[in-house]
Amino acid sequence: MQYSSIFWWTILWVVFWGVTGGIGTRKVYLRKDLDTSNATLGGSLIGAAFGPFGLAPLWWKSPEIGRVMITLSSLVVIGIIAVAFANADPENNCVSNGSFVASQITNGLIIGIIYGLMAMGLTLIFSILGIVSFAHGAFYMIGGMLVYYIINVWFPGTHPLIGVLGSCMITFGLGALFERLFLTPMYDGRVERPVEYGILVTFGLSFTLTYLVAALAGFNPVKVKRFFDFPRIRLPDSSDPWLIKTSRGNMELFDTVSISNPRFVAAILSIMVLVGLLLFLHRTWTGKGLRAVSQDRDAAAITGINPNRMNMLAFALGCMIAALSGAVLVQAFSWLPVVGLIPEMRSFVIVVLGGLGSLPGAFVGGTLVGLVEAAGTGCVPNPQKASSYIPAYGMIILTIMLLLRPMGLFGRKFASGAHGKF
Amino acid sequence: MERVRKLTSALGLVAGLFGLASLSGPALAADCPIKIGGLAPLSAPGSVTGGEAMRDAMILAQRDINAAGGVLGCDIEVVIADTEGLPEKARALMEKLITQDGVVAVGGGYHSSVGVAGKDVANDRGIPVVFAETWNDTITGDKQKYIFRIAPLSSWASGVIWQFAAQAPGVKKVAIVTENTDYGIPAAAECEKGLASKGISSTTFGVDIGTQDFAGIVERVKAEDPDYVIVLLTGEAGYNYAQQAADAGIGPMDMMFHANQAGLESKSWWENVPDGNLAFMARIGVPETMYNETALKFAEDYKAKTGKTGVESYALEAYDSIGVLAQAINEAGSTNGDAIVDALENISHDGTLGRIYFPYGTKKDPSADGKGDEWWHQWPDPAITMVQYQKEGEPSNTMTIVYPDVYKTGDPIYVGN
Repeated sequence: MQYSSIFWWTILWVVFWGVTGGIGTRKVYLRKDLDTSNATLGGSLIGAAFGPFGLAPLWWKSPEIGRVMITLSSLVVIGIIAVAFANADPENNCVSNGSFVASQITNGLIIGIIYGLMAMGLTLIFSILGIVSFAHGAFYMIGGMLVYYIINVWFPGTHPLIGVLGSCMITFGLGALFERLFLTPMYDGRVERPVEYGILVTFGLSFTLTYLVAALAGFNPVKVKRFFDFPRIRLPDSSDPWLIKTSRGNMELFDTVSISNPRFVAAILSIMVLVGLLLFLHRTWTGKGLRAVSQDRDAAAITGINPNRMNMLAFALGCMIAALSGAVLVQAFSWLPVVGLIPEMRSFVIVVLGGLGSLPGAFVGGTLVGLVEAAGTGCVPNPQKASSYIPAYGMIILTIMLLLRPMGLFGRKFASGAHGKF
Repeated sequence: MERVRKLTSALGLVAGLFGLASLSGPALAADCPIKIGGLAPLSAPGSVTGGEAMRDAMILAQRDINAAGGVLGCDIEVVIADTEGLPEKARALMEKLITQDGVVAVGGGYHSSVGVAGKDVANDRGIPVVFAETWNDTITGDKQKYIFRIAPLSSWASGVIWQFAAQAPGVKKVAIVTENTDYGIPAAAECEKGLASKGISSTTFGVDIGTQDFAGIVERVKAEDPDYVIVLLTGEAGYNYAQQAADAGIGPMDMMFHANQAGLESKSWWENVPDGNLAFMARIGVPETMYNETALKFAEDYKAKTGKTGVESYALEAYDSIGVLAQAINEAGSTNGDAIVDALENISHDGTLGRIYFPYGTKKDPSADGKGDEWWHQWPDPAITMVQYQKEGEPSNTMTIVYPDVYKTGDPIYVGN
């Protein structure tokens, strides 16, 4: 960084007024007996964005702090940091190379969508059963392994999408079976601490599945070929394909953005599943039943919905979604029995960031983490450190979020959970 | 009184016999089999491909040594220990091997970080170690009495890598992608220094071992617009980088690309890096056409056991690390650590890699020949070649040797020129 003092003084300014805004606004709103649910987050963002010029009118007028105000302040804060960074390190690729920036944003969005999909499975389980499934990473791993075994070992030559479908069906069944065998004691009072029991039993499942697969498949990395090759496209003109240029494994847009085939295919499949999942949850009776149970189990039961059956469906669906994330990524990454550990940790971060039990929160959180990781990897000036900090980028965002808004981006203050204990 | 004297004499005799028995301990049948530890990464984030090859080789060494009469009249048992490539596990594993399994010496070892962390435990407890594939200079550079190595030094192996890059046509800028480990960091530093001495600029990108998603780093490497890429990532991380770089148009078929030697496990390489043709790799040991009798016999057995078409260099090293220890124990006539060290310092072992010996140690310091401390207990003769896949799906034993000239079997294909 050429002029690092510019950047660090700006960060100091932003942090100082952010902290002042966060603490002061809450106190002011409390004294005026106003709603404080967004006071800390809104106050800190307005303080960080506008300093005393934003806090003075905020404390004087004390308006309701809504999403628009929070979003605009967030964008201003990001803008201030970006401008400071650009002035401090004008030769950084993130400042001087538009093509690089566009590629990093695209990569961040693509991987963020896949993270979001995986986290949605976790949040679905949490919102219905009230437990955090520690077997989520194991199902992610099994999803990829099953695709490999279906299309490369058991039925060579099978179309990859059949492999993905097979993987989904098997993991859905596995999830349903596990829920019936091991999670039902949570519902009928057979265990004294149902939530802790759920966490421990899924933790055990994770170990069992991981080491079972290791014993059966070994620890050698495996991978499947690209599901599809890009057709050769040169637009608008084959001699000057500035709009779109493809090779088997890569697509280049506007001569700037480079997207690898496996990621592109994985992202498209993830988006299709996301849309399908949302349609299922909002347009079908069963989906509405799931949502009803997540909001209020007892009220849902009174209307004729069987909450226990919804538990099974939610757990099986959550496991299947995790497996699907793995199934679409096994063409992008080498696959091992322990491949699920890092994505699992990331899913926890995303779910808490987005708000426990919130499906839109999981999706937005995933995208946010993907973008932040891409920005960190691309922009941290020291190339020896930029990629080493990948796990830290998400944690930094999570820590800030927990400080400013403990329920996450879209979380409810009192999520009902399995037994209304949260 | 006479009876008491007789009884005392008898008890003294019995005690004396027990005393003698305990002194001659290791060679007694009661201590059979003689156990030798075998370090190998068999779980991620370690390089499982390399670990499994080393494990198979060490088991073959055990079989061959026992078939030839064993050691000190006993069979040997190689106790395989899964290091997972983790330094924090290395210390605990070494303790377990020595205190619980009762090994008298240790062979194998793949990841440098494991060697660096584990060697102090072995040295403190007086257990000799012959490291097979740990390159970090400090492993022998600390001049510890019980630590030996038959793998090349990192500075030396890195020298071959950067020298080859420097002599490739049109190379002005090199990108080095390395893991943040005791292997990767010094190897990258050596490459940077060597390339700079030839007027070639380089940028090093560090990643954590076990990293899966390299999209961001691939874009950064691409933005640097290098002429040559050196990848110092072991295990599946190396595969992940190579294929993701290939997807982004900067893989082995798009530019001059040095991959980690884990790629010599050709089945795994082609499955994980289908666009990995034309990658360069460093290989320890001479080409198969120049194998000695021991290596030819081992290669035949190894291929039959594993179903592989070629033999990885780390398999040869692992086999020899057990072989050299077995011979040293035999020549020492004891499993005493000091006696084994003495035997190792005087050894001449005909292994698969050639004649193994250790010219520097307690009897002659490396400085006597103007050499650095890292040459302490270091085998000075391992051959290092640069090889290249020149056909898609090619097995590693037919790879073209492109450097140095003395072993060359074909010309390198320089992509992008």
